Amino acid sequence: MPQMGVSVAEGTVVEWKKRVGDWVEADEVIAAISTDKIDTDVEAPAAGRLHEILVHVGETVDVGTVMALLATDAKPGEAHSSEGTSAAAVAPKAHSSDGDASSGGTSEAAAALDAPGEAGELQGDTTAEHAGSTQEGAGLRAGGKRYSPVVMRMAAEHDVDLTRIEGTGRGGRVRKQDVLAFLETGNGADAPMHIESPYKPDAPPTPKKRMQRFGAPASDVAPMQGATAPLSRMRQSIGRAMVESLQTAATCTTIVEADMSRVDAARKTLGVTYLPMIARATIDTLREFTALNATLADNTLTTYDGVHLGIAVSLGTGGLIVPVIHDAQELSVEGLAQRIKDLGARARENALTPDEVRGGSFTITNPGGYGSIIATPVINQPQVAILDTEAIVKRPVVITDAQGNDSIAIRKMTYLCMSWDHRALDGALAAQFLRALADRLETWPVG
Amino acid sequence: MATMTYLQAISDAMREEMRADERVFVMGEDIGVFGGAFKVTDGFIDEFGAERVMDTPLAESAIVGTAIGAAVEGLRPIAEMQFSDFVSCGFDQLVNVAGKMFYRQGLSVNITVRLPSGGGFSGGPFHSQNPEAWFMHAPGLKVVAPSTAEDAKGLLIKAIRDPNPVIFMEHKHLYRRVKGEVPEGSYETEFKARVARAGSDLVVIAYGAMVHTALEATADLDGASVEVLDLRSLVPMDTEAILASVRKCSKVVIVDEANQMCAAGAQVAALIAEHAWEDLDGPVVRVATPDVPIPFSPTLEQAVLPQVDDVREAVRELLDF
Repeated sequence: MPQMGVSVAEGTVVEWKKRVGDWVEADEVIAAISTDKIDTDVEAPAAGRLHEILVHVGETVDVGTVMALLATDAKPGEAHSSEGTSAAAVAPKAHSSDGDASSGGTSEAAAALDAPGEAGELQGDTTAEHAGSTQEGAGLRAGGKRYSPVVMRMAAEHDVDLTRIEGTGRGGRVRKQDVLAFLETGNGADAPMHIESPYKPDAPPTPKKRMQRFGAPASDVAPMQGATAPLSRMRQSIGRAMVESLQTAATCTTIVEADMSRVDAARKTLGVTYLPMIARATIDTLREFTALNATLADNTLTTYDGVHLGIAVSLGTGGLIVPVIHDAQELSVEGLAQRIKDLGARARENALTPDEVRGGSFTITNPGGYGSIIATPVINQPQVAILDTEAIVKRPVVITDAQGNDSIAIRKMTYLCMSWDHRALDGALAAQFLRALADRLETWPVG
Repeated sequence: MATMTYLQAISDAMREEMRADERVFVMGEDIGVFGGAFKVTDGFIDEFGAERVMDTPLAESAIVGTAIGAAVEGLRPIAEMQFSDFVSCGFDQLVNVAGKMFYRQGLSVNITVRLPSGGGFSGGPFHSQNPEAWFMHAPGLKVVAPSTAEDAKGLLIKAIRDPNPVIFMEHKHLYRRVKGEVPEGSYETEFKARVARAGSDLVVIAYGAMVHTALEATADLDGASVEVLDLRSLVPMDTEAILASVRKCSKVVIVDEANQMCAAGAQVAALIAEHAWEDLDGPVVRVATPDVPIPFSPTLEQAVLPQVDDVREAVRELLDF
């Protein structure tokens, strides 16, 4: 692809005026190209037979890319033969029809012909080398791209298909760090489905040994030494409960987005955190949707009028515990805030009474303080649902005013994620519940 | 440890060795009574006397030839060329006599030839050259080029003790600009490269004054991790250190203050092409002085010698590749 003036970086082939096997004279027009500045013709740099077209009509390539190979030792009238010819790269002379870029472009292209480099190197190509580039040369030119030696070696050692790697170098070039990043993110394992499969493919085959002449032989890597420790009683008990829940319930998760701007404004007047406000709204919504304020055991669903609200409290690395606020419906936001604070403090001091962790009818878990935005919690059996509140973050959202005009505004948004038991209810009810909860939060009275 | 300039460290090395070994003596133009053009041997004549601090005629061939004769007789002369540029007058003695004496006659030529070299101060074409490659090309000579005060002392002591003729390239522009902690007493610095700054994205290979240019140019490159390898010794060349850096970083910029053609950096580039091909992630890039004499004009001299910005631009380009 000839250089058409300084700022043009690429060009598109519009038409090939010659076919493979055609005889072309020096300076004869062989193709038409289009750049973002001008359209122009490409002339043959030498006489010969068109041996191979490398850039096809419609393809856009960088300036300097070899467009076609010309067999310069062929003779006019001779039958076209793929053997016994040596091919010259067509780094064609540009002839611009635009006065602006003409003389400079022409001389640059001519200079490029003389300069050592890509074109010069290919001019020396013999048939054998050429055959290599179309067959096993898939390495050097896979996908029409060229790769650096270190990238080729790493690809061979790790059995990586380089065409699957997106390059971040100049012009999309695959660099060493791209291969490293690709290997780090799982050695090109198939993209996961929407859930992560527990299946892990077999270890990759032993890497091919590289040339021994210059490099030290790769050492066999010993398995990594780790520290072992038995699970604490709490971890074992959490583990049992979680596995049992997943084996018992038909766990599904539904997610609804809520605008927390009004809650945020009200929160500041009340001087509390988000959690007691969300808890209060949840309690009110649960009393509308009693099917979620329920327990399911032995094929019997029991729904409740009062809300015994469980609040998951993290004990750091030790585990977590779910103290229960009995008859939470009787508490104001401030009252809930007080109880949550009290239970949390005593949970961390290991000072909860057995009654305080028993009898919940619904649970809220609140890991959003760490910045997570979505999670799929495990239901606290025998309850039928658990609400997960996530980080409240500013997002651009589309707001529609009373006249129906849309605008984009920055609002404090969050995802309300609820896992629920499909044995006890269906998705429509879960969604209705979450929508009602979100509405309650979004219309929180301010002032 | 004492803080010394590069120049003081060179003086200190010679003083230590002259005190410890009476076979060591210095000779050169105006080095005695005047203390040397750059005052490297200032005060030497008072401490060691005119017999061991010899003023010579303006005749480099005679200086080197005399040193060779003294070395063959068992002494350890240190010959100073007032400017490295003038060494060409002593070329035959160095390249043909000193370099081949052991090969032809089995005689050790334990001489050290100090070459104040380099530009950057408008010295013009006769006072600014970096002629190290002339001697790298001649078998039998060792060539070292320190960039720090500590290395200047350690490498010079090692050179004085080395039984082979050693060309000691001391960069004039570093004489009073570079300061550093220098250990007291006598110590040898091996003729090996030194990692001046460790990094992993790209390595700049340099020696002498260009080590400082490379460090400055790559101090802050938007978080890129750039290694700087200070060769310190050009012959022998520390092949292992060069290849280790290239294997780690995969991208290489080589900086020479010398004229580009056949400079030390050309040898480094060849070495990498031959032995580290499979570790390269981009072309080996060279930054060097174009093949022209060094101009007097400060503006032109700056345009010719590799500057911090030139190195930074080359590094940026290659990092982006």
